[in-house]
Amino acid sequence: MNASAASLGHDSHGHHGPVLQYQPGLPLSRGKLIMWLFLSTEIMFFAALLGSYVVLRFGAAVWPKPHHVHLSEPIGAINTFVLICSSVTVVLALEAARANKKSLAKTWMLLTLLLGSLFLGIKAYEYAAKFSHGIYPSAPRGMVYERPDLYYGSAVRARLSEPVIIERMKELFTKPEAELRPEEVTGRQRLKQVRDMVNDPSQQAFDLAVVADQIMPLPAESADGHGHGGGLNDTFSWLKLPVVIPGGNMWASTYFLLTGFHAVHVIVGLIVFAILLLYELGPKRAGMIENAGLYWHFVDLVWIFLFPLLYLF
Amino acid sequence: MSATPSGHSPANVHGPVTSPGALPEDVGSETADHHADGGHGGLGQYLAVFVALCFLTTMSFFTYSPYWPWRDEPQVGWAFMMAVSCTKALLVVLFFMHVLWEANWKYVLTIPAAMMAIFLAIMLIPDIGLRNRMVSQERALHMARGSDLLLLEQAAAAGENADASHETGSHGH
Repeated sequence: MNASAASLGHDSHGHHGPVLQYQPGLPLSRGKLIMWLFLSTEIMFFAALLGSYVVLRFGAAVWPKPHHVHLSEPIGAINTFVLICSSVTVVLALEAARANKKSLAKTWMLLTLLLGSLFLGIKAYEYAAKFSHGIYPSAPRGMVYERPDLYYGSAVRARLSEPVIIERMKELFTKPEAELRPEEVTGRQRLKQVRDMVNDPSQQAFDLAVVADQIMPLPAESADGHGHGGGLNDTFSWLKLPVVIPGGNMWASTYFLLTGFHAVHVIVGLIVFAILLLYELGPKRAGMIENAGLYWHFVDLVWIFLFPLLYLF
Repeated sequence: MSATPSGHSPANVHGPVTSPGALPEDVGSETADHHADGGHGGLGQYLAVFVALCFLTTMSFFTYSPYWPWRDEPQVGWAFMMAVSCTKALLVVLFFMHVLWEANWKYVLTIPAAMMAIFLAIMLIPDIGLRNRMVSQERALHMARGSDLLLLEQAAAAGENADASHETGSHGH
């Protein structure tokens, strides 16, 4: 067989040496086979991540509620919708390319690219909201403390005694009330209270819990808004005091790892779509579109599990 | 073993295959494969799947809404959401990824990978899932516990009461 194939190849292109005629062992093209092999490794990759997340989460003594870490369920649901839409558009691009409707295929492909970018944009907005609340993975911890204990109290004290903060506080406390917004007036009183509480040598565990609640309250699950009008960190963005989120550090590590790897996959998909847009998307490219689509559906698939696990559990 | 007569059919003679990563259209079976199952897909079917996916997303989002009847038993919601997610995943895999119309190789690739995934998660349970059964004093000192959450909730309640009394007090001011 090989010999005959080699001679065939030799006959048609005399200048080549003997070459092998590959026969598919499976009823699918090489590209698709490789894509599926790759996807099966991806299944294991994301299953390992998701599995570790689930095991870590249910093994934890305390896990923050989505609102404690400023997750917005509607935003997550919108992102799910965006990805589902993009899965449909890539399938429609494939169908259009097979039917030799090149411009239609290009339109669907462009729409897929835009939807994927929209997903990333929303994700970036969410990341920015976490970062602005001091929630990010950091060793041993960033601004997030696990419990309102003495270590937390001393961290707040340390931040409040930084020269920059002392300067800003002096400015704030001497400002006439008329120049301040109403929440800044009450915030000013609260800040004084917090400063006195962390400096009080006879402080109790409960006092530090009150301090933590003043700095960044953990909204109740049923509350739509933020408890009592946000904490000191929200009122004075320059303050950046340490916050208490029980279980928050592990949450940050898993959240950013899972969504980060997913976002990297989205970015790779967008690059592939951008490259595909350079070509004429006719039946000749249908295989390429199909493989890119398979990858993209897998990315969608991962998000289908990430959304409930991260936002609704 | 691989001496198939199709090797001599004109459809499969493409001359030398110099690059193994050549376009999939090079393989005759691709087009044959596609012609054979030409009945699948279609705009109507994709739209139906899309509508189903949107509906299912709304359903899992429904567990978050105040109308969800099992708010006090989160396990019900978790089981429900996982069932919804698996259904959605199945729809995407079967219809969008065309697995419904693929030959039996699909089982070879997906079932072992899925089993590996499940075993991996199970094997994490003793060391990771049950890590808080026994912890060192050093860790116990710093790790959050349910009592911390309670303390913070009490502090929040106290703060809200103080706010309320403060507001009524400042009304007269």
